[in-house]
Amino acid sequence: MLEIKNLHARIADGREILKGIDLAVASGEVHAIMGPNGSGKSTLAGVLSGRPGYEVTEGAVVYRGRDLLALGPDERAREGVFLAFQYPVEIPGVNNMYFLRAALNAVRRARGEPELDAGQFLKAVRAKLKLLEIGDDLLQRAVNVGFSGGEKKRNEIFQMAMLEPRLAILDETDSGLDIDALRVVAGGINKLRAPDRAMVLITHYQRLLDYIEPDRVHVLSGGRIVKSGDKTLAAELEKHGYAAFEAA
Amino acid sequence: MIVKTETQPYIDAFRSGPRAGEPEPIAAQREAALARFGALGFPTRRQEAWRFTNLRALERRSFPPSVGGAAPASAVEALRLAGPAHRLVLVNGRFAPELSDTSALPRGAWIKSTAQTLAERPSLPVLDAGDSEGAQPFAALNAAFFTDGVVIALEPGVALERPVEIIHLGRAEAPASLHLRSRIELAPGSRARVIESFAGAGPYWTNAVLGIELGAGAALDHVALQDESGEAIHLALARLRLDAGARYDGFSLTLGGALSRRDVQVELAGEGARLGLNGAYLLRGEQEATIATVVDHAAPGCTTRELFKGVVGDRAHGVFQGSIAVRPQAQKTDAHQLNKNLLLSRRATVDTKPALEILADDVKCSHGATVGDLDESALFYLRARGIGEGEARRMLIEAFAADALDTVEGEAFRPRLAAHLQAWLGLRESWES
Repeated sequence: MLEIKNLHARIADGREILKGIDLAVASGEVHAIMGPNGSGKSTLAGVLSGRPGYEVTEGAVVYRGRDLLALGPDERAREGVFLAFQYPVEIPGVNNMYFLRAALNAVRRARGEPELDAGQFLKAVRAKLKLLEIGDDLLQRAVNVGFSGGEKKRNEIFQMAMLEPRLAILDETDSGLDIDALRVVAGGINKLRAPDRAMVLITHYQRLLDYIEPDRVHVLSGGRIVKSGDKTLAAELEKHGYAAFEAA
Repeated sequence: MIVKTETQPYIDAFRSGPRAGEPEPIAAQREAALARFGALGFPTRRQEAWRFTNLRALERRSFPPSVGGAAPASAVEALRLAGPAHRLVLVNGRFAPELSDTSALPRGAWIKSTAQTLAERPSLPVLDAGDSEGAQPFAALNAAFFTDGVVIALEPGVALERPVEIIHLGRAEAPASLHLRSRIELAPGSRARVIESFAGAGPYWTNAVLGIELGAGAALDHVALQDESGEAIHLALARLRLDAGARYDGFSLTLGGALSRRDVQVELAGEGARLGLNGAYLLRGEQEATIATVVDHAAPGCTTRELFKGVVGDRAHGVFQGSIAVRPQAQKTDAHQLNKNLLLSRRATVDTKPALEILADDVKCSHGATVGDLDESALFYLRARGIGEGEARRMLIEAFAADALDTVEGEAFRPRLAAHLQAWLGLRESWES
């Protein structure tokens, strides 16, 4: 599904953040990428989703046989890539439902599926809300405006459920959540695991992995993946800290 | 007498035009106004009120008074409100009864064309004292040339249930000027909702003057939709006077015209009057548009809420000049003014000059202005969900303008405005060239 080869990227001030990432994620798998602050986690999420401000200097990203880096962020999304933002953006004046319907119909058009009218859309929304066990109180408000940290993250997972991506990149989805909110969000993510969907969880802490069991765990340090293993690697990290894995 | 050269074509046109059959006071007033126009000349950038407005489109050729014209009903259809309304249509500055409908007027409501009003009810003043004050040369020109307009006069306590819609159509093959003179007089306790729409085709110049007088406790909701032809020039001056406890909520949407200027001058003359002055201007190409408001808090306890939002793309130029003056006796004034602008291209420009002059000591006043670009992080968020860049930009621009639009009360006018806004947003020309 996703193959990252020797990916190097730098930020606007010229500093190289990613220094040769290699990673392969197959359909149906959940990979966790863990690393300390400054290791390049958010840069990786940014580069994969097409966020402005990064320059790829070397390497390639192949997604379902296509050069992902050649696509604009909206094209990537329509091809089935979803980024759950670490800091979801507040957009005053744009209604959450209006936004989501525009997004869903853009994705459906790209898939060759008919657009949903208002009634069909509402039905789909209700079904997903029920699946994720979240209320409909967020729907009539402007996108993320005045949402609590937990509400913003719930809204991200709700959008993911609506858009049904093939590849979901979840950037620090657990940050800023209390234990109850974490449980709701993790429960939602688990329900969205599917054989035709891959997920990449980017996280600093191991606690998200108490709720979501990954197939593979990678340690990111100094812009490289320095160790990979199965879920037991997360527990090892918890015990010994990142220091043991610091890139030389 | 010294006559400014740029006024000469208009003075010549006046001399050669047919002016027979008008009552003597009107004819004399026209003569006096013409003389004033000749003496004042066109405004220049040396005058503070006209400092930022580029009048080149008006100066480089002359616009002889329109001799009239006709419009098909289809031209009106696209501008009509969805629900029932008292409708008056003017084509090239003349009332078009066949396109209008004022059959369902309640008792105590006078809604007729200005020409009819002058003939049937000359006691209603259509020319007011303001025409002989201040440097308003185009108002003077209007007083000399006006052909028609609309007069709305409500007796005390009359509440118009249906909105009044006034549709001004300009249609010109060659440069022509339309001079519209209108008046709204609401007696104490009366209420009305009025929408004026301006549209057309060709190189015409709309020069509109509107006087509004609100008696004690009267209330007026007023929308001005300027969606003139791309070659048109649109100058509109509204003068308002509010008595005690009166309420005026005005909204103007400026979309059309090569050169456009809207002047609103308000005197809050009675205690506790409430003023809402809001609007949006969306400009592209090489459009030039000015909003100039002057609010005079002359009585205590009055409120002003003013919000204008500008979206300026391509090489367009937007101007906001707003002043609020609080006189010494106007204690407990509560006045807030804000102008926010979104620049869509590097060659688009905005001049904004909010101003407050406060001479009373117990007041709550604020003013401010911002000029910014589209929020890149919001744009990325929308795109990251699959929404194409063009649509994402449209959504953000619409959202930016929306909070000004939200000040328009009630459901009668908002869909009309939203439709014009959507049409503007739907024109996928390069906003960012």
